[in-house]
Amino acid sequence: MTARTRIGVVGAVIKPCIAEDGRLSLEERLHQALHETLADAGLTTKDLEGIVVAANDQYDGRAISIMMASAPLGGVDRDILSTPSAGEHAFVLGALRIASGQFRTQLVAAWSPTEASSIAEAQRLAADPYFHRRLPLDELAAAALQANALEHAAPGAGELAATLLATGRANGAHAYPDLVAADVVQGRPTRWPLREGVVPAPVTGLVVMMLASEDFIEERGLGPVAWISGMGWATEPAFLGDRALASAPALDAAARQAYGEAGVTDPGTAFDLAEITDVTPYQHLLALEALGLAGRAEWRDRLAEFGPTGRMPVNLSGGVGSLNPVYCTGLIRIAEVANQVRGRVGRHQKEGVRRGLAHAASGPAMQYQTVVVLEATGRRTAA
Amino acid sequence: MSARVGIIGIGQSNFQARRDDASYPDLVREAVALAMKDAGLGFDEIEAVVYSLSPDAMVGIGNAERLGVDAVGARNKRFLRINTGGATGISSVAAAWTHVAAGACDVVLTAGADKVGECGDSQTVLNKIWDPIYERSLPLGTINMLAMSAVRYMHKYGMTEEDMARVVVKNRRHAARNPHAHLRKETTIDEVMASRMISWPVKLFDCCPQSSGGGAMILASERWIKARGLNAVWITGLAHSSESYYLGDRMGRHVVADHADAHALAASFRKSYAMAGITDPARQIHAAELYAPFSNTEFHSIEAAGLAGLGQSPAMLREGAFALGTNAGAVVNASGGTLCTNAIAVTAMARVAEAALQVRGDAGERQVKGARIAVASGNGGDHQFFGTMVLEA
Repeated sequence: MTARTRIGVVGAVIKPCIAEDGRLSLEERLHQALHETLADAGLTTKDLEGIVVAANDQYDGRAISIMMASAPLGGVDRDILSTPSAGEHAFVLGALRIASGQFRTQLVAAWSPTEASSIAEAQRLAADPYFHRRLPLDELAAAALQANALEHAAPGAGELAATLLATGRANGAHAYPDLVAADVVQGRPTRWPLREGVVPAPVTGLVVMMLASEDFIEERGLGPVAWISGMGWATEPAFLGDRALASAPALDAAARQAYGEAGVTDPGTAFDLAEITDVTPYQHLLALEALGLAGRAEWRDRLAEFGPTGRMPVNLSGGVGSLNPVYCTGLIRIAEVANQVRGRVGRHQKEGVRRGLAHAASGPAMQYQTVVVLEATGRRTAA
Repeated sequence: MSARVGIIGIGQSNFQARRDDASYPDLVREAVALAMKDAGLGFDEIEAVVYSLSPDAMVGIGNAERLGVDAVGARNKRFLRINTGGATGISSVAAAWTHVAAGACDVVLTAGADKVGECGDSQTVLNKIWDPIYERSLPLGTINMLAMSAVRYMHKYGMTEEDMARVVVKNRRHAARNPHAHLRKETTIDEVMASRMISWPVKLFDCCPQSSGGGAMILASERWIKARGLNAVWITGLAHSSESYYLGDRMGRHVVADHADAHALAASFRKSYAMAGITDPARQIHAAELYAPFSNTEFHSIEAAGLAGLGQSPAMLREGAFALGTNAGAVVNASGGTLCTNAIAVTAMARVAEAALQVRGDAGERQVKGARIAVASGNGGDHQFFGTMVLEA
């Protein structure tokens, strides 16, 4: 993006696991999160110029799930769009809408309920109705096929995956002690080689972020700000048979876009921390490689660098391997990095974060890939 | 505001009730191929794709955009999907505009398709847009939702069922000249009045068909267009605005939006006109492609677009306004409009495409003579999301 203005994240509220106690409806929770986000940013609803939301009709049990969210998020009499392809795509479009010069602020939101009788069945509806739907091809199965492919291409990946899972779960227990247990108890295989306990059960979650242009931020004296200095997104095809699952070419492409904009030439040393969308630890390994953080030949020797006390911690939040609000896990990764850069992430804050890397992935076996570079001081590229 | 963004490629299927010969991705590809041919481009020149798809349930595939990735040539490229219900098509063009205006890309494709004619019953699907606890069991559908708007409009402005039939007659006459339209048979007021009652006062002929087909458009930056010496239609104004979700919020003493009118559509048009520098739309606009799936909704759309005062459009239509050949103001839905073709995911894109063809002078037998400025609109949700656009040669 040859941004004509710098764009900053000025507010972000993450609810990675909401208790299903029936006290509040999703509409009420979204409205509550809107006001928490505005308070975080130091703004009011009058400052909302546009809104981009993302939700999944099958998980929500509605057709056109944006409709319900319009009023709770301030959409009435405003310009509100939705990107149901992925939660993180709401962030991409929100940033683009400010970069276009048409808006100075954008609210971005995604949510993921767990009221569907079976999320796996809802996911199977995305399979081709003629050839694949009768297969038990939910997203966990796709992730397992990807894990098998990686284990075949990089023998020993499973052992590293176990290490990553333990580290991530410990990070999650530190970041969200009331929600995550540090222990990893693996049970029987569910989708080989994935066992019970590896991929956390889906939970209800939501995330709301506020973006603003540089002139708006300066005019209103907002801060702290996480500036978007690079953003990339790309997709692979849907059919798993058309893909090389032990690689992530769309993530390669997205990273090239983001790094090019941010002026990152050596991603291995460029960031203070990263958040990776890792439904399985195998995806974590694939992302490390495609993001240019560590090639597969380096995984075994360099994983310690990405631990909580390492040079560049990855997933201080615990990642998806700790908390799995399915549809909004990608946007949560971006919000986690934004709040690290803003110094407002909470218990798992790393001191002095100047530049962070967020990776978001959605769809079967990481079909959609998004990379965002966020900085305490943004880089402006020529108009 | 940044440099201009132009439309350089347009592709539309010849919409039909069924397309048994083509799968859902096939339909998307059909429209993409037409747009690529129109623009004279290859896939290597497409930098990003905005996928236009309204409710998944209409095609019976969850996140069906995933199956369309190869159909639009998006592998390893920027890709995202838009869904604002019936407004999705114009929202997708707007999102493609945003990609270019933001400087992210020079050339963006937006495309989609729908198989409404093969979904079983679109009203059963569309009932699921409403709140599952309070409204879904009523049973609401988009027909009775907008029949209530017709009743309210009749009450406020004196519209008759014959006035509604007059819209159908006009649009069918227009659609007969449009090879892409689904319903191309001309009709009469008597035939409309004699057609089966669906939800009073909306009769069968007052309703749009359930159509199958695809749509695609290619947008590019002014710099890229000029460097290649291409012709383009320029998007000079665009906006969206929304109403409330619950229909009950559009009734009562303290209502913001009256269900007779199209409050948020008017707000969106005002924003688009301000951006485009349009100060007197009734005089400045030559062609309008307004999303009106039921005959009565064309009236409040015309008024929201500023082409007539509130409640005045039925009388103007009686006097011959808004029809091809009129010498008094804009022609409305020279394509036949949504009333004659409704493949929901791309219907509002077709409004933009048809408006663009008008100002490009490529609308064939449905061409509005001398059209230089055209507008398009899209409505989605429960008459909730509205997108508008101004296009100029």
